[in-house]
Amino acid sequence: MPVETVPFKVADLSLADFGRREIRLAEHEMPGLMTVRAEFAESQPLAGARITGSLHMTVQTAVLIETLVALGAEVRWASCNIFSTQDHAAAAVAVGPDGTPDDPRGIPVFAWKGETLEEYWWCTEQALTWPAESRPNMLLDDGGDATLLVHKGAEFEAAGQVPAARDDDPEEWGVILSVLARSLKQAPGKWTATAAEIKGVTEETTTGVHRLYEMAKDGSLRFPAINVNDSVTKSKFDNKYGCRHSLIDGINRATDVLIGGKVAVVCGYGDVGKGCAESLRGQGARVIITEIDPICALQAAMDGYQVARLEDVVASADIFVTATGNFHIITAEHMSQMKHQAIVGNIGHFDNEIDMAGLTRLPGIRRTNIKPQVDEWTFPDGHAVIVLSEGRLLNLGNATGHPSFVMSNSFTNQVIAQVELFTKTDQYPIGVHVLPKHLDEKVARLHLDALGVRLSVLTKEQASYIGVPVDGPYKPDHYRY
Amino acid sequence: MVRTSPTTTGTDRQGGRPADGPPSDIADPGLALAGQPGIAWAERAMPVLGMVRASFAGRLPFAGLTIACCLHVTAETAVLVRALTTGGARVHLAASNPLSTQDDIAAALAAESGVTVQARSGVDRDGYYEHLHRALDSGPDLVMDDGCDLVNTLHEARSELIGGVRGGCEATSSGAARLRRMAAAGSLGFPVVAADVSATRRMIDHKYGTGQSVLDGILRATNTLVAGKTVVVAGFGPCGSGIAERARGLGAQVIVTEVDPVRALGAIMQGFRVMPMRAAAPGAELIITATGSRDVISAAELAALPDGAILANAGHFDVEIDVPAMAGLAIEVNPGVRPNATEYVLADGRRLILLAEGRVVNLVAGEGNPAAAMDTSFAVQALALAWLAGADPEPAGARGRVLDVPAAIDSEVASLAVAALGTRIDELTPEQLAYLDSWRLGS
Repeated sequence: MPVETVPFKVADLSLADFGRREIRLAEHEMPGLMTVRAEFAESQPLAGARITGSLHMTVQTAVLIETLVALGAEVRWASCNIFSTQDHAAAAVAVGPDGTPDDPRGIPVFAWKGETLEEYWWCTEQALTWPAESRPNMLLDDGGDATLLVHKGAEFEAAGQVPAARDDDPEEWGVILSVLARSLKQAPGKWTATAAEIKGVTEETTTGVHRLYEMAKDGSLRFPAINVNDSVTKSKFDNKYGCRHSLIDGINRATDVLIGGKVAVVCGYGDVGKGCAESLRGQGARVIITEIDPICALQAAMDGYQVARLEDVVASADIFVTATGNFHIITAEHMSQMKHQAIVGNIGHFDNEIDMAGLTRLPGIRRTNIKPQVDEWTFPDGHAVIVLSEGRLLNLGNATGHPSFVMSNSFTNQVIAQVELFTKTDQYPIGVHVLPKHLDEKVARLHLDALGVRLSVLTKEQASYIGVPVDGPYKPDHYRY
Repeated sequence: MVRTSPTTTGTDRQGGRPADGPPSDIADPGLALAGQPGIAWAERAMPVLGMVRASFAGRLPFAGLTIACCLHVTAETAVLVRALTTGGARVHLAASNPLSTQDDIAAALAAESGVTVQARSGVDRDGYYEHLHRALDSGPDLVMDDGCDLVNTLHEARSELIGGVRGGCEATSSGAARLRRMAAAGSLGFPVVAADVSATRRMIDHKYGTGQSVLDGILRATNTLVAGKTVVVAGFGPCGSGIAERARGLGAQVIVTEVDPVRALGAIMQGFRVMPMRAAAPGAELIITATGSRDVISAAELAALPDGAILANAGHFDVEIDVPAMAGLAIEVNPGVRPNATEYVLADGRRLILLAEGRVVNLVAGEGNPAAAMDTSFAVQALALAWLAGADPEPAGARGRVLDVPAAIDSEVASLAVAALGTRIDELTPEQLAYLDSWRLGS
C-alpha cells in the first residue's frame, strides 16, 4: 500500500512550533470553543462530517478547525483572503498537535499570506477536492467563495460550458472562470456531485450571507445555509467589538501615525462602522461618518458624529476607512482629491470598496511599496495617498484580525451551526436560516465565566410576569439588542 | 428690615475696628427651616470639608477672627461657613451673584450664631454692592472672595479696612486674574491665595464639577436633546474641556474655539474640531462660553448664528456673551419663554435663546457645581484661610501678592478626598524615596 502523505500547501512548516504556542494562548481566550469541545467529546456529533472550510487561516481559526476535528469531523481548509493567512497558524494546523514539521499529521490546509488570485482560487479548489472518490458534505464559508465555486461549477456543468470572461469583468471573475474551465475538462460532473452531497453551509459574514439570500431568492441555492453572521453573538460582537479592536491595530502597525487629532472618515455606520468610529474616537481622532441609510445616519448623529458626504470632506480628512459592504465607495477621483499622505483602508469584506482597479488605471499614477501591505500611490501632481492592504480588509492584512475572545463567540456559533445542519439536516430545508435564539444565548453564556460575570437568574414569578421561560430564550426574535 | 447706609457705616467705622457688622439682610427669615434639608444634604455630599471642619473644631484656627465672605449663597457654601464658624470665626457672608442666591439657604445660615448673611435673590446692582459693604462693615481679619468684587470694593471704597486684613482667598480664575492685575499695579494690600490654581480643584471642581453642572443648567433651562446637536464650546481650559467632554458624552458634535495654541492642540488631540468662533457660529446650535474673557460672542457672531441657537455662559462674569449687542440686534425680546430662557427675535425672523441672561448658567439655571465638587474646592479655601490666619502666615514679601495654594494643602485635600472615596493608595518606601531623590543612579 503506498504511503499517503497529507497533501497541503503552506508557506513554511518550520513555523509550526510558534503557531502551536500561539494556538495554546488562543485556546485560553476562546472559552466557548473549548467548552463545546468538552461538551461533545463523548458524543462526537460531527463524526462522518467532511467539512471544507474557507475562512481566514489565523490562529483563532486553528482553534476552530481543531474543535471541529475534536467533534469527529474531517476537515480541509483554505483561507478566504489572499493576505489574511498567518503562516505560523497554517503551519501548526498542517503539522497538527501530534506531528512534527518532518512528520506532519494535521489537516490539509492550503493557505499562505500573499497569494496571487490564481493561487487563491487554486487553494479554494484544493480545499473542495477530497482524496479518492470522497467529496465534502459540509461547507464552512466566510464570504461565500467556497459556496460560489461549487454553485458556479455546477451551473456551468449544467450549461455544458464555462462562459468566456468579458473585458469589463473584474480580474478575479476571469480567474474563477479559468479555474472552472480547467476543472470541467479534467473532472466533468465534479461540482454537480459535490453540490448534491453537501448537506449545508454555515456562512460567517455579512457579504456571504447577502450572496446566500440572493441565491435563495432566485432559486439557485442548492443546499440549506445557516446564516451565522446574524447570530447576535456574532454580528453584534465580532463586527462591532472585533473591528473596534483590530481597526486601529491595523492602522498602527501599518503606519504608526498618531491617530489623536486626526480627522477620520468612516464610510458606513453599521455594526462594523460603529466599532471603527468608536475606536478612532477613543484614540482622539475626530470622526466623520458617511451613510446612505437614514436610520444609521441618525444613529451616528445622535452618537455625536458629524455625518457628511464623502465629496465634502474628502479633501480635508487624514484617514479613510470603508465599512459599507458595497463597492466603489472611495473612487480614484476621490483619492486624487485627498490630502498628501492621507491613509486609505478598507475593513469591509471585499477589496472593491476602494476602487483599486481605477486607481491603478490612472494615467501617471506611481506605486511605491513601503512595506508589506502598505503602498504609497503618488499622483502626477506629486501628492500621494497611503493605501493599506491593497484595499483588502486591513485589520487582517495589516494586523492579526479580531482577537481570540471575539472570535470565540463567532466560531462557537459556527461549530453549533455545523452540528445543527449535520445532525438535524431534515429540519433545515433549502434556504437561509439563522440559529435559534436559545443557541445564540448559549454562545453568550459560554463566555460569561471567563469574564467573571455573574448572571442574575429570573424567579419563576418574574419569568411568568414577562412571559419567558426561566432558562430563556429571553427576547422575541425581532428584538434588536 | 432696616438697612444701614453703607456710606454712613463706613464713615462711622473710621479710626477703629468694629466689634461686629450690621445684622443680616435677607429676603425672608421665615425660610430658615426650609433651608435646613438642603444644607444637610450638601453636608452628606461633602465629606472632605467635613473632615476639615472636624480638625478645625480641635485647633480653632480662626479663634476670635472675623471673616468677610463673598460667595454664591448656596447649600454648599453653608457647609463651608459652618466649617469656618466651627474653627472659631465670625462670618459675614455676602452674595457673589445677584441671581445665584438661594433665599432659604440664606435664611437658614442667618439663623446660626456667629453668622450674618447679606443676600437676597434678584437684587439689583446697587443692592448687590450694598450687601458687599455690609459684609465689610464687620472689619474683617480675613476675606474669602469669589470673583474679586469684595476685595476690589474693599480696596476702592473701604481702604481704611485694608490694614486690618491679614489675607484672603479667591475662589475663581476670573477673580484671580483681577487680583494679579491689582498686584502687578502694586494696589493689592494683603496676600491673597488664588485657590483656583489648586491641582485638586482644577480637576474635581472645574473639569468634572463645572463640566457636569453647566450641562445640567442648560438641560433644566431648555430640556433640549443634546445628542446630535452641534455644540460650540468657547475656551478649552479646565472648565471648557470638562464641558466639551460632557457634551460629547451626551452625543453632541462638539466644536472648540480657543486663543491659546497649547489648549487648542490639546482639544485637537482629544478629537475635537477646533476653529475660529466666526467659522463655528453659522452651524452652532448650542454655544457655551467658558473663557474668562469678554465679547466672545459679539454682534458679528450673533449675526451668523442659525435660527433657534441657544447661548449659555459658563464663565464667571456676564460679559462673555455681548448681551447688549444681542438686545440691539433684536426687534423683539421675550423674557421667560421658559424659566431662565430669553428669546431674542432678530429682524430677519431668526430667534436666539439666551440662558440665564448670559450669567453663569450652572448656578442660575442649575444648582451650581455638585456638592462633591465644591467639597474639595471649599476644603482648599478653608485650609488656605486657616494657613493665612496662622501666627506668621506670610512668606517674606508676600504682602500684596497673589499666592499659590501651598502644595501641602493641595496634597492634604487630595488625600482626604481619596479617603472619602473609600480608596487606599500606596506609600513610597524609604528606598523609593531615596531613589527618587538621587541623581547618581542611572540605568
